[in-house]
Amino acid sequence: MYVQLKNINKKFGSYQAAENISFSIEKGKLIGLLGPSGSGKTTILRMIAGLEEPDSGDIYIDGQCVNGLPASKRGIGFVFQNYALFRYMTVFDNIAFGLEVQKKDKEYTKQRVNELIELIGLKGLENRRPHQLSGGQKQRVAFARALAPNPHLLLLDEPFAAIDAKVRKELRTWLRETINKVGITSIFVTHDQEEAVEVADEIIITNTGHIEQIGSPVEIYKNPATPFAARFIGESMIVEDYGRFSGFELEEGYEKAVLRPEFIKVTRTDKEVYPHASQRAIIEDSLFRGNMLELRLNVSGIKLVAYRSLEDDFLAVGEEVSVLIYRLYLYNDTQVRLAENKSFQASDIFTI
Amino acid sequence: MHNFEKTFLKRKSRVIPGFGLSIGITVTMLSLVVLIPLFSVFLLLSESTFSDFLRVITDKQTIAAYQVSLSCSAIAAVVNVVFGILLAWILTRYQFPMRRILDGLIELPLALPTAVAGIALTTLYSEQGWIGRWFAKIGVKISYSKTGIVIAMIFIGIPLVVRSVQPVLEKLDPQYEEAAQVLGASRSRTFFKVVLPEILPAALTGFGLAFAKSIGEYGSVVFIAGNIPYETQIVPLIIMNKLEQFNYPAATAIAFVMVVFAFLLLFGINLIQAHIQKIARG
Amino acid sequence: MKENIIKWLLILIGAAFLGIMLLLPLAAVLVYSLRQGFEVFFLAVTDDYTVKALKLTLFTTVISVAVNTLFGVFAAWGISKFQFRGKQALTTLIDIPFSISPIIAGLVFILVFGRIGWAYPLLEAWDIKIVFAVPGIVLATIFVTFPFVARELIPLMQAQGSDEEEAAALMGAKGLRIFRKVTFPHIKWGLLYGIILCTARALGEFGAVSVVSGHLRGKTNTLPLHVEILFNEFKLTAAFAVSSILVLIAVLILILRNIVEYRVKREER
Repeated sequence: MYVQLKNINKKFGSYQAAENISFSIEKGKLIGLLGPSGSGKTTILRMIAGLEEPDSGDIYIDGQCVNGLPASKRGIGFVFQNYALFRYMTVFDNIAFGLEVQKKDKEYTKQRVNELIELIGLKGLENRRPHQLSGGQKQRVAFARALAPNPHLLLLDEPFAAIDAKVRKELRTWLRETINKVGITSIFVTHDQEEAVEVADEIIITNTGHIEQIGSPVEIYKNPATPFAARFIGESMIVEDYGRFSGFELEEGYEKAVLRPEFIKVTRTDKEVYPHASQRAIIEDSLFRGNMLELRLNVSGIKLVAYRSLEDDFLAVGEEVSVLIYRLYLYNDTQVRLAENKSFQASDIFTI
Repeated sequence: MHNFEKTFLKRKSRVIPGFGLSIGITVTMLSLVVLIPLFSVFLLLSESTFSDFLRVITDKQTIAAYQVSLSCSAIAAVVNVVFGILLAWILTRYQFPMRRILDGLIELPLALPTAVAGIALTTLYSEQGWIGRWFAKIGVKISYSKTGIVIAMIFIGIPLVVRSVQPVLEKLDPQYEEAAQVLGASRSRTFFKVVLPEILPAALTGFGLAFAKSIGEYGSVVFIAGNIPYETQIVPLIIMNKLEQFNYPAATAIAFVMVVFAFLLLFGINLIQAHIQKIARG
Repeated sequence: MKENIIKWLLILIGAAFLGIMLLLPLAAVLVYSLRQGFEVFFLAVTDDYTVKALKLTLFTTVISVAVNTLFGVFAAWGISKFQFRGKQALTTLIDIPFSISPIIAGLVFILVFGRIGWAYPLLEAWDIKIVFAVPGIVLATIFVTFPFVARELIPLMQAQGSDEEEAAALMGAKGLRIFRKVTFPHIKWGLLYGIILCTARALGEFGAVSVVSGHLRGKTNTLPLHVEILFNEFKLTAAFAVSSILVLIAVLILILRNIVEYRVKREER
C-alpha cells in the first residue's frame, strides 16, 4: 500500500471534518475523493499533503510515517483549485521553481522544464505570465509545476472547479491520459460525480467526515453500499410509496426507494412487451437534452424522470404510455438493498 | 438646476436627489478653502521676475536645506519600508501576546501632536536623554544632528508604510505560500520570491507617502534638528525663516519648489506602480 | 525549528522597534512632566495661559471638525451616488491639503489674508483680523484637516453603491429622509472613524498654525504652540506637563480609533 491513513480525526471548532478515517491506496492508482461540499474531502487531501495536521491518527506514505513532517519535506506535488501560479514569474520560472529549491543545475532545470512544457502541450508559451493564459492553460502549468521536482505522489484539489464547462471535459481526458503516461500515484478531490466516474480508477465517497464507500466506479454504481452512495451516484429519484409500482411490494423496514432513469423503460402502449410488469403513465413534459429526450412522467401519482433516445418513436406530451421499472434500491437510515421487479421474468437488460 | 444636471449627470443617476446641492456645496467649499488660497501662491509668484525666483531658490543655504531634507527623508523612508514590512508581517502572520496592543499603537504618530512628539524626541536623544546619553559616551550626537532628523522622520512615517502593506498581506491568498511550501521552499525563500513581489506596490505607496510627509514635516522635526545653518536646516524651516523676515516672495518661491517636487514624486511612484502591476495583471 | 527561531526573532525586532520609537517618547513625556513632583505638574497644567491655550485649541478643533464633517458628507454623497465627468479630478483636488506641508498651508493663508494678501484691503475696510488672530488659526486648521472625513467616507460609500438609495428615491422619499434612514446607518462607523482622525489632526496641528498665529500668549496661542514656547524658554517640566494633557488625549483617541475600526470592519462584511 502506497498511501495509508489510519484512524484520522480532524475538527475545526465544532465542525468535524474527518472522523475516524482509514483507507489505503495502491501505488500507481488514480483515486478520486468524491463528496458534497463540506464532506471533509479537501481536508483529507490537505492532511496528506501536510498543509493541515490531523488531531489524531497516522498517515503513511511509501511506508514512512509522515506525521509532523512539514509539507515542504514530503515530496508531494499539489495542484490547487485556483492554480496558485506565481503571478510575477513566467511560465518557465513557475515550473522551474521546485527544481531551483532542489538546487538542480541550470542545464538540468532547462531540460526538465522544456520536457514538461512539451508534455503539457504549451510549447512556445514559456515566457508568458499567468495572466496571459486561459484557465485551462493555467491549470496545465500548475500540473507541470507540481510534477517538475519528481514527486512520488500527486494531489489535486478540485482541479477543474474553476474552469469553463466545455474546456473541463477536454482537460479531464487529458489529465487522465497524462497521469497514466507519467505513472504517478494520484489522488484528486471533486464534488462532481461525473468527473470522478470518468477519471478515477477507484472512488472514495465521503460524507460529513465519514467514508461511505470505496470501490471502482462501476462497483459503486451497481452495488451502492450505503443509502448516501445510492443517492449520490447517478441521477436519483427518491420515492416513498414504491409499492404502487407494478412488480414491487412495500417491504418492512425500508421506507424509501431510489431509482435512476436507466431503470425505467418507456414504450408506446401498443408496443408494450411485458404487460404484467408494467403500468400506465402520462407524459407530463418532454425536454430536449441535446442528445436525448428527458420525459417527465406521472406514474400512478408519482413523478419520475426517464430518458428516451431520439431514434425511437415520437411520444407526445399528454400521451398515455407504458412504463416498465426494472429495479429499485430500497433503503432506510443505514442499509440499502437492491429490489428487482418481481413480475419481470425475461433476462436482465442492464443499460448504463 | 435641471439643465445643470442634464449636462453633467450620466443617465442613471438622475433618480437620487441632491446632486446639485451636494456638488454645489463641495465645489464651493473646495474653492473657498483650498483652491482660491492656493491660487494666491501663483498670483504672488507671478509678481516676481524669473531671475529673482531663480536666485531665491538656488541660494546656498536653501540648497543645503534641500539636501538635508531630501537625504534625511529618503533614508527615513527606506528604514520605514524595511521595518514596515517586518511589522506588517508579524502582525498578520504570527500570534503572540500583546499583538493587539502593538497593532493599536501604530497610529500613535498620527494621533500625537507634532510639537509634543518633537520635544519628546529631542529630550530623549539629547546628551542627557535616556537614549542620547549612551551615544554621547561613544561620541555620537543624535539630537541637533542629521541623525536626529532621520529619527524624527522615521517616527512620523511608521504608520504610513505599515498600514499600506498590512491590508495587502492580510488579503493575500494563502494558496501562493502553500504552493511554494509544497514545492519544498523554505519560509525565507517563499517570502522573498513569492510574497515580496506581491506586496511591492503597496510598499512603494508607503514609501512615497512617508517620503512626502517627511519632507514637509515641521513640528516633529524642527525641535530635534537644532537648525544649524547648512547642517540641520530643513526646507520648511527655511520657509518659516523667510516668513519671519516678512520676505513673502522668497517664502512662496521655495514653497513652490516643494510642491512641484512632491507632485513629481507622487507621479513617479504611480508610474512605477503601474509598471509593476502590469507585469502581474496585464 | 529554525523557522520558530526566525519567527520569534522577527517579533522581538518588531516589538523592540516599536518600543523604542513609540513607547519611549510617550514614557519620556510622562516621566519628565512629573520629575519635579506633582505640585509643579499641577501648577503648570492649571496655569492661566495653559487653560486659555487649551480653550482655544478645543474651540478650533470643534469648529474645524464640524465644518469638515459637513463638507465630507456632502462631498461623499455627491461623489459616490452619482456618475459624472471630472469625478476623479474632484477627488484628487480634495486630497490636496493632505499632501501639502503644514508650513505651506499656513503660508497660503498669509498670502490671502495677510498684509500682502489680496483680500487684505477688504478685511481692513471691515476691520476684520484674520492673520495673527483667532479666525486665522481656525481657517488654517480647517484647511489642513479638510480632506480627513471625506477621504474616509468616499471609498466607503462608493463600495456600498447607490442601489438602496435609488430604491428609496423611486419610492418617493426625499433627500434628507434617504440620507437619514438608508445611508446613515451604513456609514455611521466610518463617519465616526473619519471624525476621530480629523479631531486628532486638528488638536495637534502645529506647523500651519505656527505661521498664522503670531504666538500671542493668552490670545492666539494654541496648546501645541504653548508647549513650544515653554520648551524654548527651557521650562522643560512645564512643557512636558502641558504635553501630557495632549498625550492623554492622543492615547484616548488611539483607543477610540481601534474600537471604531473594529466596528467598521464588521460593517464591511
